[in-house]
Amino acid sequence: MLKKISINKISELAAALMDKGLLLAPVKEISGYNFVEIKDPKQVDLDFHNTIASPKAAFFPHKEDFIKYETGKPIDTASVVALNLPPAFLFGARPCDVKSFEIMDIHFNASGIVDPFWKQRRETAVIFGYAFDLEKPAQPEEFYQTLGIGAADPEGSDVFMVKKGGDLLLNSVTPKGEKILAELKVLNEGKAADKKYYEEYIKKGKEYKTRSMCLEPGAITKKLEDLFYNTDFWTRVSSACISCGVCTFVCPTCYCFDICDDTLFAQGIRRRVWDACMFTDFTLEASGHNPRTHVYQRLRQKINHKYSYHVRKYGVISCVGCGRCTKHCPVNIDIYSLIEDAMKA
Amino acid sequence: MINKNPYIPVPVEITKIIDEVDTHDIKTFRLVFLNKDDEANFKYLPGQFAELSIYGKGESPIGIASSPTEPGYVEFTVMRMGAVVPGTVTSALHDLDEGAKIGIRGPLGNSWPIEFLEKKNIVVVGGGFAFTTLRSLINYMLHKDNRKRFGDITVIYGARNPGLLLYKDELAAWEKRDDINSIITVDKGDEAWQGREGFVPAVCKEVAPSPKNSVALICGPPVMIKFTLPVFFELGFSKENILTSLEMRMKCGIGKCGRCNVGYKYVCSDGPVFSLGELDELPRDF
Repeated sequence: MLKKISINKISELAAALMDKGLLLAPVKEISGYNFVEIKDPKQVDLDFHNTIASPKAAFFPHKEDFIKYETGKPIDTASVVALNLPPAFLFGARPCDVKSFEIMDIHFNASGIVDPFWKQRRETAVIFGYAFDLEKPAQPEEFYQTLGIGAADPEGSDVFMVKKGGDLLLNSVTPKGEKILAELKVLNEGKAADKKYYEEYIKKGKEYKTRSMCLEPGAITKKLEDLFYNTDFWTRVSSACISCGVCTFVCPTCYCFDICDDTLFAQGIRRRVWDACMFTDFTLEASGHNPRTHVYQRLRQKINHKYSYHVRKYGVISCVGCGRCTKHCPVNIDIYSLIEDAMKA
Repeated sequence: MINKNPYIPVPVEITKIIDEVDTHDIKTFRLVFLNKDDEANFKYLPGQFAELSIYGKGESPIGIASSPTEPGYVEFTVMRMGAVVPGTVTSALHDLDEGAKIGIRGPLGNSWPIEFLEKKNIVVVGGGFAFTTLRSLINYMLHKDNRKRFGDITVIYGARNPGLLLYKDELAAWEKRDDINSIITVDKGDEAWQGREGFVPAVCKEVAPSPKNSVALICGPPVMIKFTLPVFFELGFSKENILTSLEMRMKCGIGKCGRCNVGYKYVCSDGPVFSLGELDELPRDF
């Protein structure tokens, strides 16, 4: 099912979605675009390349409350925070970011114990993926082509959107997407010419150039295993790193979290919050022992986790080439160059 | 774990606290489930652990020290941490009295591989505080319903001095039994000490357990492990027949939070029990 709407009328579409549930869409903030919960339909702005933070927070919020309690009161008076989620619409996620949800699904939803929060948030959400603008060049930090991800891949989205001049074409990818498109009266029917344009756009997206190298998961896994004890290499590539952790926070596939108790006077909440393997105390044990005291050990952990451990454990590289870590690194560590270096080392 | 939300602890009451050592910083806590369903869901094997939970303080992953053959309760031996970094949960736990109620999440992790151990001679080597899940296994194997499933049982357990030995009553009881060869040693005895003196590696060399159809389970401080392993290699134990239990900082305990990995394995869900053969496959990152 192909529908369309004039981009000028995007706020009408936003208002229609807000009538049905929670809308998360790109909004221009002071330092750039981010996905935020829309309060006013006019906030939605599709004139962006990509957002500063990845949209992972839609399913894995920075803070997730587990339990509320009063300190000093009996344990059985604590209450579990119920997760009664309204339907949610994630509007405008780029193909590489949509791919990240599939990678996270394997970890949170499809292996071992299921994470109930991730699962429920995924189930209640409809994803409106949005192709990159193929008329404009990729940003220098991007390399999703390396990971086999096109600039207009609809897979993983429920509805996939493509810009055609002043119009936005919306095509259903899943039954969930088809259902919502049928319900949105604000949309117009797509024409045969729109359908042709959409299909060609998807094809062209495969050839969209980002930085690209030949990266076979088995080969990089093996290479990193061989390189593990090459302290000279890891010291060199991490020499500028200040362990700030920004790479992990903006990353769409970083999922490390802390579980902590936050108390204010007698009110307490046990919750999980994002954490980062780049922090010095991430692996600090109560005995004082810390297996990763050096910055090179922590960067080695991060790179290995994405390009080696994740491949060994789940069969896929845990990176989608969005380039956010590179773009936001305050000391210009470029993960793409690092992987290139590793392959040559 | 049957609980639908794996991050929510269930309530237990501390019904007994045993002050284990002269330094008073290691206590055994006996916990009884407040709800029968929770007790039924907490089916564990020796070698597993659980997250002990105090609201307002946090959670701490602790090995289960009791044996599943002891119904009605579950025991944890906990050291009060805080000498180097704040041991917030263990300190709070040590400050509690009998009758206090806390939370528990588990059982978590794999276990000592019971099926693999069956019909084999078992050599248990423990040092100091790292004896808790080994005690669980020993009591499991010594239970009348289980004893015949295992071959000879040899236990070599050492501490720095007699006052630091854990489970003193049980150690004495094992010495009286003829279906377990229990060798207790201390680095240095005091005036009252009638037993053996000597470091664990040296005692292992002296006892020289046969590697034939045998599995060694070794837990202790790094320095003990370092000098004990060569003894067992020299005796002829293969890496597949030497098992240990790892520790890493943990949070979720279910393989989700990304904290306790050694290479591509998570200590919480793939471990904590590994053979030396398995550890050889992983990077030295622990």
